[in-house]
Amino acid sequence: MTVRHSVLGKTLREQRRALLAWMIGLSAVAVLYASFYPAMSSPDLTEAMDSFAPEFMEALGFTALGTPAGYLGSTTFGIPGPVLTILLAAWLGIRAIAGEEEGGRLDLLLAQPVSRWRVALERFGALVVVMAVLAVVLFVALLSISGPADLGAIGPGNLAAGTIHLAVLGVWFGGLALGVGAATGSRAITTGVVAIVGVGGYFANTLAAPIDAIGWMRDISPFHYYSGGRPLVHGLQVADVAVLLLSASLIVVLGTVRLDRRDVGT
Amino acid sequence: MEPLHGHVRPRGARSVTPAIRTDGLTKRYGQRRGLAGLDLEVHPGEVFGFLGPNGAGKTTTIRLLLDIIRPTSGTVEVLGMQPRVAGPDLRRRIGYLPGDFVVEGGQSSRELLTFLGGLLGGVPKHRLVTLADRLDLDLDARIRSLSKGNRQKVGLIQAFMHEPELLILDEPSSGLDPIVQETFLGLVREASEAGRTVFMSSHVLSEVQRSAHRVGIVRDGRMVAVEGVDTVRARAIRRFEIRFEVEVPADVVAGVPGLDRVVVDGSVVRGILEGRADPLLKAIARYPVASILSEEPTLDEVFLAFYRRPEGDDGAA
Ligand SMILES: Nc1ncnc2c1ncn2[C@@H]1O[C@H](COP(=O)(O)OP(=O)(O)OP(=O)(O)O)[C@@H](O)[C@H]1O
Ligand SMILES: [Mg+2]
Repeated sequence: MTVRHSVLGKTLREQRRALLAWMIGLSAVAVLYASFYPAMSSPDLTEAMDSFAPEFMEALGFTALGTPAGYLGSTTFGIPGPVLTILLAAWLGIRAIAGEEEGGRLDLLLAQPVSRWRVALERFGALVVVMAVLAVVLFVALLSISGPADLGAIGPGNLAAGTIHLAVLGVWFGGLALGVGAATGSRAITTGVVAIVGVGGYFANTLAAPIDAIGWMRDISPFHYYSGGRPLVHGLQVADVAVLLLSASLIVVLGTVRLDRRDVGT
Repeated sequence: MEPLHGHVRPRGARSVTPAIRTDGLTKRYGQRRGLAGLDLEVHPGEVFGFLGPNGAGKTTTIRLLLDIIRPTSGTVEVLGMQPRVAGPDLRRRIGYLPGDFVVEGGQSSRELLTFLGGLLGGVPKHRLVTLADRLDLDLDARIRSLSKGNRQKVGLIQAFMHEPELLILDEPSSGLDPIVQETFLGLVREASEAGRTVFMSSHVLSEVQRSAHRVGIVRDGRMVAVEGVDTVRARAIRRFEIRFEVEVPADVVAGVPGLDRVVVDGSVVRGILEGRADPLLKAIARYPVASILSEEPTLDEVFLAFYRRPEGDDGAA
């Protein structure tokens, strides 16, 4: 079985336009933010930012704006990067099973000599590939702008760590969408779950963290494992990445167990 | 075109593994009835027409055969195997045309068919081209840009291209123009001559009677009749409407053999005629006839005619 003839390869071919659009969009966002750093890092502005309540700034995702890693972590990697990445990943994940099924396109594929497991896992594989490509492109874009934008202090290693964390966050949400979609076959339910987990997870990570009583909420938020270890400062957080990848895989497996047992397209 | 005659069903069919066999097959969609105990047996090598009105359960049956949905109760066997257990190995031997052939529109037919061919373990390119030529389909046009009938051709090609042992086709001729329908019937005939089994659904008898050996009628989720096509044809059941130039008495066609459900309404007589038309014509010739319309009966009419009276009893209703 060549890649050309695999479900994975076919899925990637069908998604190449979306991937291209996102590569351009995400790189543009990254480059745009980065190019503002020299202006933002002026002492005046840093001082002005410091006058806001730190909790407020943190809730908005702004921390240590005066340092290269802090700036990039608060901007590109703060909200826009994750939002763009999660949107693409969730879209691909929803489409993978639930979207195909509601569109009536899954019948034909499942009538072929492929198992439902293979369809779900290869589509998950395609999602991982898309996120990896996105991360590489983002990394290259950031690396090439980091010199001119005075962000060189982050270093290529930590920059790579940051983009890997972002890609893994995408894989997590894509896996959630794929798994829920596989289990339910419903685009609406899947979209709802992803939206609730996304928004809830974000606020659990930023707002719940300072409050001791509900501090545990932070630990179940995917965003905690994305940015809690500050990969742009401390490099790749292997344990955090592993938590995200394993839990995403688990969701996909559980969703596929259900998919394998249920009726399709009813 | 000649219908397929001379098909000999294997003797002692018990010893031959049926191509398709269901036993009390039941499918409920929540509270809704999909199938209510369908018994079906399709012999290897035969062309079987699976007929029934809208909502009768044809698509439900077919999707159960492909393991896309699972039965509530009852058993299914396809090529001697249970679809749920046999999985991909069984589906490799089946060509399937969904009732609603929907695929990603941005690709060309060639891309789609090459991909599906790959999943099937490789289909020679020349076979794709030959099929596309016969059906007069442009393989390089985007599927989104194809008309309904041309899209259906793509569906037919993917069902036939790997020359499967069993073809399961859900309303294969929907959307096809008469010329392409002929080509399609040719494909069915060739498949049958090569010993392959064809199971296809339809709403109308005329669509399948030229290629099928047997037809089965499903209604309200049950098989209500299975007959050889030759038997059905021999019964020659027609619906007729005769318009007279004058009002005719209510007993104008009384005593004519082969009539059923006769309604006399002023100068119009409607009904169903089975068998020879001669006695009817002789009977109405006593009055001036304005027009005679004779058309294919509905499925229900055919099979009511079949199952209302015992074989050989020609008595009018
Ligand atoms: N997904 C579903 N959910 C609920 N009911 C369904 C579903 N699919 C089919 N049904 C019901 O099952 C019955 C049989 O439907 P099916 O599609 O098998 O009919 P059909 O014989 O193929 O009809 P048609 O000629 O219109 O294609 C219908 O009453 C239909 O309403
Ligand atoms: Mg149908």
